Amino acid sequence: MAEKNVSGPPVPTARSTKPVSEALLNEKWDRAISSLLVRSGLGFGFGVIFSVLLFKRRAWPVVFGTGFGAGRAWEEADANFKRGDRPMTSEGLRKTRP
Amino acid sequence: MLRMGAAPGHRLLLGSCRPRPRAPWLPRLIGQRSFADVRKGSSNSKDTSASTSDPAFLPGSQSSAAPIKVPPPPGPVNPTPLSAPTPATPTSSSTISPENVPLTPPPPPPTKVQVTPPTSVPPPPKSPPQSPPLPSPPPSSPPPPSSSAIPPKQKRRRLRFLLYLTVFTGLSYGAAVFYALKSDNFHDFFTEYVPFGEEAVLYLEERSFQKRFPNARINQSRVPSSAQRVGNRVTIPSKSGISWKVSDEGDTGGSDLSQKGRHMSALDANKPPKTEVKNAQQAPNQASQKEMSDAVGAAKKTSTTPKAAPATAAAAAPVSTPVPEVKTEKKPEMMPTASPTTPSPKSEPRPPAIAPVTHLSPLEVPNADEPVVQELTKIVNDLITVINADSPNASNKYSAPIAKAKESLVGIAAKITALKEEERKAGEEKIKEARRQFDESTKELARRIDAARGEELAHYREEFEAEREKLSRSYEDKLKTVVDRAQQVSEQRLQNELTEQAIELKRKFVADIKSLVEQERDGRLSKISELSKNVDDLQRLTSDWNGVIDSNLATQQLQVAVDAVRSAISRATMSEGRPKPFLTELAALKEVANGDPVVDAAIASMNPTAYQQGVPSPAQLIDRFRRLSSEVRKASLLPENAGVASHAASVLLSKVMFRKQGVPPGDDVESVLAKTETHLEEGDLDGAAREMNTLQGWAGVLSKDWLQDCRKVLEVRQALDVIETEARLQCLRVE
Repeated sequence: MAEKNVSGPPVPTARSTKPVSEALLNEKWDRAISSLLVRSGLGFGFGVIFSVLLFKRRAWPVVFGTGFGAGRAWEEADANFKRGDRPMTSEGLRKTRP
Repeated sequence: MLRMGAAPGHRLLLGSCRPRPRAPWLPRLIGQRSFADVRKGSSNSKDTSASTSDPAFLPGSQSSAAPIKVPPPPGPVNPTPLSAPTPATPTSSSTISPENVPLTPPPPPPTKVQVTPPTSVPPPPKSPPQSPPLPSPPPSSPPPPSSSAIPPKQKRRRLRFLLYLTVFTGLSYGAAVFYALKSDNFHDFFTEYVPFGEEAVLYLEERSFQKRFPNARINQSRVPSSAQRVGNRVTIPSKSGISWKVSDEGDTGGSDLSQKGRHMSALDANKPPKTEVKNAQQAPNQASQKEMSDAVGAAKKTSTTPKAAPATAAAAAPVSTPVPEVKTEKKPEMMPTASPTTPSPKSEPRPPAIAPVTHLSPLEVPNADEPVVQELTKIVNDLITVINADSPNASNKYSAPIAKAKESLVGIAAKITALKEEERKAGEEKIKEARRQFDESTKELARRIDAARGEELAHYREEFEAEREKLSRSYEDKLKTVVDRAQQVSEQRLQNELTEQAIELKRKFVADIKSLVEQERDGRLSKISELSKNVDDLQRLTSDWNGVIDSNLATQQLQVAVDAVRSAISRATMSEGRPKPFLTELAALKEVANGDPVVDAAIASMNPTAYQQGVPSPAQLIDRFRRLSSEVRKASLLPENAGVASHAASVLLSKVMFRKQGVPPGDDVESVLAKTETHLEEGDLDGAAREMNTLQGWAGVLSKDWLQDCRKVLEVRQALDVIETEARLQCLRVE
């Protein structure tokens, strides 16, 4: 998916401002995966540290941490997809509409 | 006495002179002059009149003198209240009184008889020669001798008658002469008609004239001064001189006597005439030189002759000359025996003092001016006459006291005269002083008046000058203003006239030009209008053609511009894959269109991004559609509000789906895509866009950009088509 996105030469120009309409979903996907990776990795790292420091090298703090991170990324990607073509707001996912 | 002496001389002279023509008128002249003097005297001052009348009576002889002559002169001349009564009365009284005394014895009437006898008795020898000049004495004298002869009685009667007649005639003659002296009318009549009347009157006048001057010599200082200074007022005070004149009588008598007594020689006699001449010259100023010289000569002659005569006569007589007959007449009466030798009144006072005298001579005061003295002398004289008349012894007896009295009287008279003289001198001095003062004051006054007048004159002159200057200035101002106004008015009028003339000329000029132009127009210029019309038509034509050409040009340009835009769009597609902006071409097109509303509207319908960023070519659109179609297929299975899981499912599932070809019915995503593809392949961009527009959901969202591009391209194509058609239309319109 990422390859497709990159293929379009005129995209880079459009990227600066707003992605081309046909590359919308691709971009969402990119974000979801990257966030999953980062958050699951963070959870993993935190679980390792907890397990080493507090839980005498037990496995469950590591799993718990990774799950926690992957869950957060999932949640975020889901919200992103549901938002449709509306641009993302840096403030937060939830937006109360009048 | 003088009269007596002068009378015969004059007579003789007259007789001798008669043949000569001069003789009568010379005395006449003199007489006239004297007459004039008299007149003057009477009119101006009584001094002169008194002097003129002087000769009539002599102080010494007054008493003895003929009553006829003596009394009248003082009477008329001295009618003034002061002097007149005193001198007149004494003389008359004296004459009458002494005569009356002795005359009482004779029977004939008082005055005439009295007078006649005395005269007739003593002077038979002397009277005859003297009688001719004086009418009264001579007639009286001749008769007495005849009467004394004593012819028979009849003869006596006749003689007496004759005597009366003669006496009467003589008296009347004398009276007439006297009256002639007084009244002018009678004078004329008398001198003209009565024989010898003229001579007698002239003689008397001359006598008075002569007498006046020797007397006047003393008073000359006064008289001439008064006469010269025209002092009518000054002479009035000298009226007192009237009394003075009375005294003058005495004076004259005295002077006469003294003259005779003193000057026995002819040399002395000459002096008075000189004075006379002087006076004469002074008095008649009007007389010419010749006349004056003549008169002087005559006067000299006359004066010298009579005086010389009496002088000689006096000399002939011993000390006491044969006094005027009047005296002699009287004296003989008093002392018929011894008197003949001492008849003169002057000598009389002396003889008694020297030796016993049978006859007392009457008192003679040298300057008997004063009336008092005169009266005194009269009284003494009366006394003397009385004494004389009384008896020869009486005279002897009273000679001494009378002489004393006479001396005292003379002394008194002298004193009085001295006093008078002093007074006179003082008065003269006073008058001189007063006159000097008056002169000074008059000079002062005159000077002051002159000064005041000068000041006033200067003042008035200054005022006059100032007034005149003011007036002249004001007049000049007025004149200036008037002149200025007049000039202005004239200038204005001239200007008006000029303007009127100019207007008139202009009008004329315009009219002339009009007429000329009319003529010209009628001639050649009429053709010019046609020519101009033609030219106008030509111009219109050319302008029309120009418009056509211009419009043609514009349309051509428009078409060229449109071609340029199209070529630009096509070139972009040809050369590169990217669209090229064609903004400059479009701007040129807009300019060329020159505000064509259609072109403007077409340009405005275009999206600005289209000409700014260019328009993708159809090939680019198809290529983009291919990429888009794959993406749209991925999201073709997504439900509404799909999450991550549904998306992932749709992606996975879409790969398994069959692809449709051609124009499938239905409006699902797959069929729409197939239809669009076919449209694109056919080249129907419009149809492809419409198909794609029907997509909804995520598919629609994804195809939004492509649709936009399609629309742009479509718009540009449409606008260009419109502009091209417009240009074509314009080309068609022009033609």
